[in-house]
Amino acid sequence: MTNPAQAGAVSSARVGIGGPVGSGKTALIERLLPLLAARGVSLAVVTNDLVTKEDAERLQRGGLIAPERVMGVEAGACPHTVIREDPTLNIEAADLLESKFAPLDLIVIESGGDNLASTFSLDLVDYWLFVIDVAGGDDIPRKKGPGIVQADLLIINKIDLAPHVGVDVASMRADAEAVRGGKPVILTNCQSGEGLDDVVSRLSHDVLMAE
Amino acid sequence: MTMTNGRTLLAMLQHGDSFFPSGAVSFSWGIEALGADGKIVKAADVERFVAHQLRGRWASSDRPVLCAAHAAGGDLECVFAADQLMEANSLAYEQREGSKRMGAALLNIHGRLGTSGAKDYQARVRAGEAPGHVAVIQGLLWRALGLDMDSACHMAAHGLSVGLLGAALRLGLIGHVDSQAILGRLHKSMDEILRTAPPPLGELHAYAPAADIAMMRHETQDSRLFSN
Repeated sequence: MTNPAQAGAVSSARVGIGGPVGSGKTALIERLLPLLAARGVSLAVVTNDLVTKEDAERLQRGGLIAPERVMGVEAGACPHTVIREDPTLNIEAADLLESKFAPLDLIVIESGGDNLASTFSLDLVDYWLFVIDVAGGDDIPRKKGPGIVQADLLIINKIDLAPHVGVDVASMRADAEAVRGGKPVILTNCQSGEGLDDVVSRLSHDVLMAE
Repeated sequence: MTMTNGRTLLAMLQHGDSFFPSGAVSFSWGIEALGADGKIVKAADVERFVAHQLRGRWASSDRPVLCAAHAAGGDLECVFAADQLMEANSLAYEQREGSKRMGAALLNIHGRLGTSGAKDYQARVRAGEAPGHVAVIQGLLWRALGLDMDSACHMAAHGLSVGLLGAALRLGLIGHVDSQAILGRLHKSMDEILRTAPPPLGELHAYAPAADIAMMRHETQDSRLFSN
């Protein structure tokens, strides 16, 4: 198998965003869209929702991206399968967006919600983020799930909630860094915007080769 | 191109297995809506639905176009003719689109695997020149892999049954034991279908109104796990 960048007419970088249900994947994308647009990044989004097309419609309705640049792919009750064992419909959706809106710099593929064992197929994406949040518990990084360990970028979201759920963010970050072998960890608060510039800079450097 | 029996069997297992990435996991072909409406509630209902999808739709609609695409031997104009017939004979929007999305998924993976004919036909589909229905793509690509027509039909019938039963299982309508028991019992029906010649393309037809209506209703449902 070839990776996405080698598969032919693909010009965009493809980035997966995974993580448990409710960790803030859609909110993160909503906040990243204007920041990426400000840097002149042309992008499209594929969402995999477990139950509804709500995530796709939320992005479309928000006016943050042209509705036709967002495609929803139903996961058939198997959110892991469509990003890993059988990503064919997601690849087809990304290829379709690529052909309609070329040249694109970036296609974001949002998973429908996973457990800590989920990973993205590298035939589907070039790079992937895993989003967890402090309210899920500060023991999450220590569980060393493949999502935590293997993701190119780990985001610990909702850090504003830490005092309310009894979590020491610095300790949670240290635990995450300890199991990730030097790969980056970024703390974010999608309400205030804290950490989001760091995420964009990281994507620009690692994925878009712009910085 | 012919394979030894052993290699043919292994190729059938590879390409007929749900481990092969075909996009099938996203489609319920009406089961999701029928389950939500209380029309399918128990294992016997699931078994009756799958049996009718095999006999009332697949045997008289998908199978003839699969055979025609297979018999085309890589002649893409003949494949295209069968594809157009399938398009004209697919009433419900979600049935038609689901079949084409699965066909596109199959072309995509086979294009990446280098299967002969996949890239050429994918170009026609992407240019909007051909619909790319899954039964047609199966016939085209499985022939290219050296699988004979009878084997290809067995794989397609098995794949449809497994896809439907998998959807029913994930919707909580049946358990893992029932799904295998039903699949085993369906072998008799599949064997009967596959022992008779498929109808000629001129007699292509499908009669599965409950599934068609369910898929039509499914189009506007807000809450959905499956594409159809």
